[in-house]
Amino acid sequence: MIKMKNVIKKFGQQTVLNGINLNISKGEVVCIIGPSGSGKSTLLRIMNRLETLTEGEILMKPTRMGMVFQNFQLFPHMTVLENLTIAPRQVDKLQKEEANLRAVQLLKKVGLSEKADSYPSQLSGGQQQRVAIARALAMQPEVLLFDEPTSSLDPELVGEVLSVMKTLAAEGMTMVVVTHEMGFAREMADRVVFMDQGIVVEEGSPESLFANPKEKRTQTFLEYVI
Amino acid sequence: MDNQAQRILDILTNALWPLVKAGLEFSIPLTLIAFSLGLVLAFLIAMARLYGGRLLSTLAEIYVWIFRGTPLLVQLFIIFYGLPSAGIIISGFLSAIIGFTLNVGAYTSETLRGAILGVSKGQWEAAKTLGLNRRQTMFKIILPQALRICIPSLSNTFISLVKDTSLAAAITVTELFQVAQQITARTYEPLWLYTEAALIYLVFCTGLTYLQKRLEAWFNRPYQGGGI
Repeated sequence: MIKMKNVIKKFGQQTVLNGINLNISKGEVVCIIGPSGSGKSTLLRIMNRLETLTEGEILMKPTRMGMVFQNFQLFPHMTVLENLTIAPRQVDKLQKEEANLRAVQLLKKVGLSEKADSYPSQLSGGQQQRVAIARALAMQPEVLLFDEPTSSLDPELVGEVLSVMKTLAAEGMTMVVVTHEMGFAREMADRVVFMDQGIVVEEGSPESLFANPKEKRTQTFLEYVI
Repeated sequence: MDNQAQRILDILTNALWPLVKAGLEFSIPLTLIAFSLGLVLAFLIAMARLYGGRLLSTLAEIYVWIFRGTPLLVQLFIIFYGLPSAGIIISGFLSAIIGFTLNVGAYTSETLRGAILGVSKGQWEAAKTLGLNRRQTMFKIILPQALRICIPSLSNTFISLVKDTSLAAAITVTELFQVAQQITARTYEPLWLYTEAALIYLVFCTGLTYLQKRLEAWFNRPYQGGGI
């Protein structure tokens, strides 16, 4: 579905991605782990064209991608319902009723039906992130990208977001998740990719990667985080 | 009550309606028209400075520089008394609208530009990942948030404009202050009449400030939660 070939990204003198080869297949849940500054988020942002690449190429058919940000990035001046309907109405020119209907179904899915008329500032972080997931889903994406979706949440709110993500994974959504949640990666990922210093150091099934990392750098990282 | 006090009271009473009428007919419309046009101009100038490329951005910058750096009264004189020498004759009222609009545009464009830049980059990115184009993002996502940031400053500009319309008296517009001057010329009671005019401005500004507070509250409505 997505093939990245020798992707290189430089910010000025600094090389953030140094030759990434990575394929994402339809229906796959890929978790990208690695230390801060390893280029994980940049890779995600290159996939959906928030960043341009310096060299290399990304091969894919026109694919609709949704993105979930670390800081939610809900539109604060709109109600939850408006957050979910703005893009379908503006981009896909959906009628108000149809967009609302879709939004209501998605809110139900993320367990926030009663919050349709609330503003983001009236929600907890976990609720905001669930709204953000619903907002991305409202555009019916073929791939969902998650950029550290639980990193800015209080620990007790992480679970509710992960559980929504698990539901999506179970439904067969193609997901690329940059995360520090090793539990989620271990349980839900079809494949785990370990990145460090702008390269993919190692990738494999969660069983093999977590149980017997082959590379020294992976071992060190896993010892540190688990 | 002695005769003198009675006379002044009569003058003030007789002057009240003409003054208020001049305010309602000229000062307030001048304010509303110039402010609305000025806002549109400010938006265009802010866009030119932010996204207009080198040429447009420089032109916009020069415009802001000139209008912020020269006295409003002098600008009005140039438009009304100066331009006829160049064959351009504009009525006092229209001159005032042009002058005030250009001023509001210059001051407000900077405020608006700052506020647009003040909306986090993440909002642009979120909109982009949802498929919204730049225009949709600007009008639906960025501008509503920028306006909220601007409201206190816009309100100041607005209140100042109400008072600045008195400068139009100098270019023959029969607004509130001009009428006060005319009545003073007949009655020789400048202290009382100008005080009366000042009080009417005060009432206008107070009313408009109240409306501004309501508007501010309306814009702030989504932000009352404060999280849980």
